[in-house]
Amino acid sequence: MERYSIGDDAAFAELYDAIAPRLFGFLRAATRDEFATEDLVQQTFLQIHGARGSFIAGAAVMPWALAIAKRLMIDGARRRRVELGLFAHPSIDGDRDASPPAAMAAVDDLLDATRLERRVWQRLEALPEIQRSAYELVKQEGLSLKRAAELLGTSVTAVKLRTHRAYEALRAVLREGGVS
Amino acid sequence: MSADLKARVLAAAAAEPSPTRAAVNQRNVVISMVAATSIVGALMIFATLASDGQLVRLGGEVAPDRYVERSVWLLLTTAGGALGIVAMALWFALRRGRSMLGRSRGSLLCGIVLIPLALFAWKIGWSLALGDSMVEWPERTGLKCLSLSLLVAFGPLLAFLAMRRSAAVRPALNGAILGSAAGACAWVAGDLWCPVSYVPHVLLGHVLPLFVLAGVGAVLGQTVLSLRSVASTRRTLGEPRTGGQTFRE
Repeated sequence: MERYSIGDDAAFAELYDAIAPRLFGFLRAATRDEFATEDLVQQTFLQIHGARGSFIAGAAVMPWALAIAKRLMIDGARRRRVELGLFAHPSIDGDRDASPPAAMAAVDDLLDATRLERRVWQRLEALPEIQRSAYELVKQEGLSLKRAAELLGTSVTAVKLRTHRAYEALRAVLREGGVS
Repeated sequence: MSADLKARVLAAAAAEPSPTRAAVNQRNVVISMVAATSIVGALMIFATLASDGQLVRLGGEVAPDRYVERSVWLLLTTAGGALGIVAMALWFALRRGRSMLGRSRGSLLCGIVLIPLALFAWKIGWSLALGDSMVEWPERTGLKCLSLSLLVAFGPLLAFLAMRRSAAVRPALNGAILGSAAGACAWVAGDLWCPVSYVPHVLLGHVLPLFVLAGVGAVLGQTVLSLRSVASTRRTLGEPRTGGQTFRE
């Protein structure tokens, strides 16, 4: 990034190779939508490209890139919410990666599991934005508490608390569904 | 990750040239000069309208037959010290430290509170020690100084926002600290023009504008510095969207 900021255009491809996979993973986990993820990756890189002249020598690029990606994702979601009037809810028969292992299960079990999955997703959607963001960064993206706190602009303790509350809310849904 | 994503990103970047660090530095120098000019210009306009062109005032009539003077030493001390505080405020507001994410929420909030407090403490402290201008001036409540501060700070605030351009996190707080720094610049102009050190006057005419400007900066920061997503970046490259319009569909 340092080379790119001083005018070495060829360094942009190297920068892409260095951070795109992790950025893609983060956005893929957050959006669960391949197309939206690619769109956001591209937008994030364009923001980095546009701000290259302001890059601080020696600064870490990844937290910055993730922060940009998260901001763009939230902004995009807000824009769509305004456009659509509401968030779309996940469908029962959506092509989730985390679909229950249905092959060996009885039909009733499969239906129960699908309903439970839907309730978990709905509960996740219904969580306050600050809790959901913290949960997604820490539990789904696997960021450290410190890094997540940097991205969310808050303290490690607050991230821990938000993640825990989100976790407890999701566990409560599972308990109601009879999963210990 | 699709194979052509990298090609699309590189093509999109190549299609939109962006300034390098040297170009940004040059641009910032120009913006700083414009901001400095706007401060002087606004002070001159205000002084012409409000005090027959007097940019620096060393005293005035407090009451009939009672004239209070502000010594040159007091003026130099308060304005000089304020300049030092302004320099620190500008460094704090315009530099982001060592992280591209900028300063923490706590330090930004501290800055927004401490800049006006430091300027106030400096002016009152030296006014207590070096002069008698702390007496009440019934005709000078501070409203003129309030307008002077807001008028003078307007240019620098816009300039600082232009220099910062965007903030990936905390855009409102970053805008607020820029507003506070712009207010600090205006403080020096107000200090030159206004000889009054009466505490209620200073609070209304000199300190309050800094908080007002921090608020204005916060609103502008949230509007101007926030990152915005583009509706569709593929569309600009000639690829129609086929799906994925919403998250979690």
